[in-house]
Amino acid sequence: MSVARNPRNRGASISRRTALKATGGLAACFAAGIGPAVVARAEETLVVNSQGGEYKEIIERTVIAPFEKKFGVKVVHDATGTASQDFAKLRASRGSPGFDVAAVLTPPEVTLGGQEGLLEPMSEKEVPNLKYIWTRARELSPTFGAVHTIQYASLIYNKEQIERPDSWADYWEPWKRYGDGIRNHVIGYNPANLLSIFALIYAARLRGGGEDNMEPAWEFLKNQKPYLGVVVTGSSEAVPHFESGQVWLSPYWSGRAALYIDRGLPFEMVVPKEGVLGLPDLAAVPVGAKNKELAFEFVNFRLEKDVQREFSLAYHAGPGRRDIDDLPEDFKKRQIATEEKIQATIWPNLEKIGRMRKDWTLRWQEIMG
Amino acid sequence: MWTIDGQGAGRRLPLHWFLVGVPAFFLLVFFVVPNAFLLSASVLKSENQVLTNQFTTENFTIFLTKKVYLLTILRTFVVGISVGLLVAFVSFPVSYFLVRTRSRFKGVLITLSLAPLLASVVVRTYGWYVLLDRFGFANDVLLKLDAIQERIAFIPSTGGIIIGLAHALLPYGILTNLASLSAVNPNMERASMSLGANRTKTFLLVLLPNCMPGLVASFLLAFSISISAYATPAILGGYASQTIATLIYAFIMQVLDWSLGAALGTILIVSTLAILYFSFRFGGRRAEV
Repeated sequence: MSVARNPRNRGASISRRTALKATGGLAACFAAGIGPAVVARAEETLVVNSQGGEYKEIIERTVIAPFEKKFGVKVVHDATGTASQDFAKLRASRGSPGFDVAAVLTPPEVTLGGQEGLLEPMSEKEVPNLKYIWTRARELSPTFGAVHTIQYASLIYNKEQIERPDSWADYWEPWKRYGDGIRNHVIGYNPANLLSIFALIYAARLRGGGEDNMEPAWEFLKNQKPYLGVVVTGSSEAVPHFESGQVWLSPYWSGRAALYIDRGLPFEMVVPKEGVLGLPDLAAVPVGAKNKELAFEFVNFRLEKDVQREFSLAYHAGPGRRDIDDLPEDFKKRQIATEEKIQATIWPNLEKIGRMRKDWTLRWQEIMG
Repeated sequence: MWTIDGQGAGRRLPLHWFLVGVPAFFLLVFFVVPNAFLLSASVLKSENQVLTNQFTTENFTIFLTKKVYLLTILRTFVVGISVGLLVAFVSFPVSYFLVRTRSRFKGVLITLSLAPLLASVVVRTYGWYVLLDRFGFANDVLLKLDAIQERIAFIPSTGGIIIGLAHALLPYGILTNLASLSAVNPNMERASMSLGANRTKTFLLVLLPNCMPGLVASFLLAFSISISAYATPAILGGYASQTIATLIYAFIMQVLDWSLGAALGTILIVSTLAILYFSFRFGGRRAEV
């Protein structure tokens, strides 16, 4: 006997009429009360994916709260994910990742996002403040995002343990400068982090290579491997190793380095004699953003002069705008905040990096595995 | 006209079809479709990390020819089998004690055995990290005791992954073996011993055959969870002790190459199903003995 035919089961069954009535009732409820509330909220709410961790408070205080105040809207701050994880989400959702602004992407992700039709094109029409961006940074960045922060990959060292390095060779061949005592006190990064790619480019450049010829970098990596005490992926993952005293020498993003040094980490930041590679951080708007107009307003607000100044000082990284003249001298020394520094910075071919990242990662895995 | 029960005027859809249909639909949408996508992506060429419509087997060739990836696949199954064996054989005596004890604290003891399940696997794994790290507790103690002269890196390592996963999955083994041991009548052991068998013979010839399905089930449970585990290998493994799961994550979330991630996922699914098939056959056969 089937369940439906069994008289004992009649009470547990659902007729189509009952189901339709229940659905209709629910729809009526939404139409009468809950529905308009949700719509009104959707119109005034902007979801921004941005920095988390120790940076969450900084972005909320210097950018999000003033934006909410000026425009009278509510910003939902999604502080999860790294740039590559955010891009993976963007791709998996075909451009509708659930946030209206991807506020911290790097150029390779923005380039890919543009190619795949996942990001809205961005010009001065949508974001008028783009005209104030460093000319060089804008030339090098894809047209699907707005540069709001400039960092570089510096070399940092524990000043209580070792003497000041002055070349990228000191990182890649640490035994030559520091002897065998440096073994296990050097940190490496997975190529998922652009910091690793930049460090490898520094290595290649030491022997005449670069983005177009990375062979010297692989030789350096093979030789450096026995001296690596720890390898991490995310930049923040390195911090406990700096604090515990396990790691003495590392390439590191200038913003994070300055932040932790100011908080008392016994490290110093060095610009090696070969120079440093610059990295713009970009904000972009996914094609599936629910509130595109407000999203572009946010990106434009992100580039307002006062906002840029406050954020840069708190975040310890150079601004995207070129016309902020009243930054403290000490800040200008450490960060890329002047035209002179912009010109002195090496700007890697980020489009090439985006294309070659997979091959370089496979090569890195072969050596490190 | 269709109705779900028998009260309407039209043709009727039995309730049990509805009850089966909803989870089946859920599985179709959230398991079959994503896996179908995974399989199809694994044979598509990826150019500049963007999937194309070109068919290729190159994604599999990379993993099945390069030593580093073959070692990763091998390491994953070594971890799975080691964790499965550890969980099965460590949990068995614990379960036996818990089933046979007449202590009035039996309930408390069972609760304590399963208590690790209350903590997140990430928290438990970081506990091992604090213990096994080069600058961790184990090194501090060994240095203090003069057992070592220099700090040893216990992690990242494959051994660290095995220890972490075995600890995390032990409660599952205890639960599985508790169920099978509870079904064994203690009088069978008494009968065996009264007929002249010693404890070892009683264990090997009476208890073990009766508990084999539980033992195999605890192995399979721990094995299948550990070969696809991500958090513990990511925390305790490191770059030189990658497993398939951490590599899939790296390809999809970090390298953004879905075709390579999908190919590796397919290798994991196919090889796991093959091993589970043979294990079930083995387990089933032993259970019939």
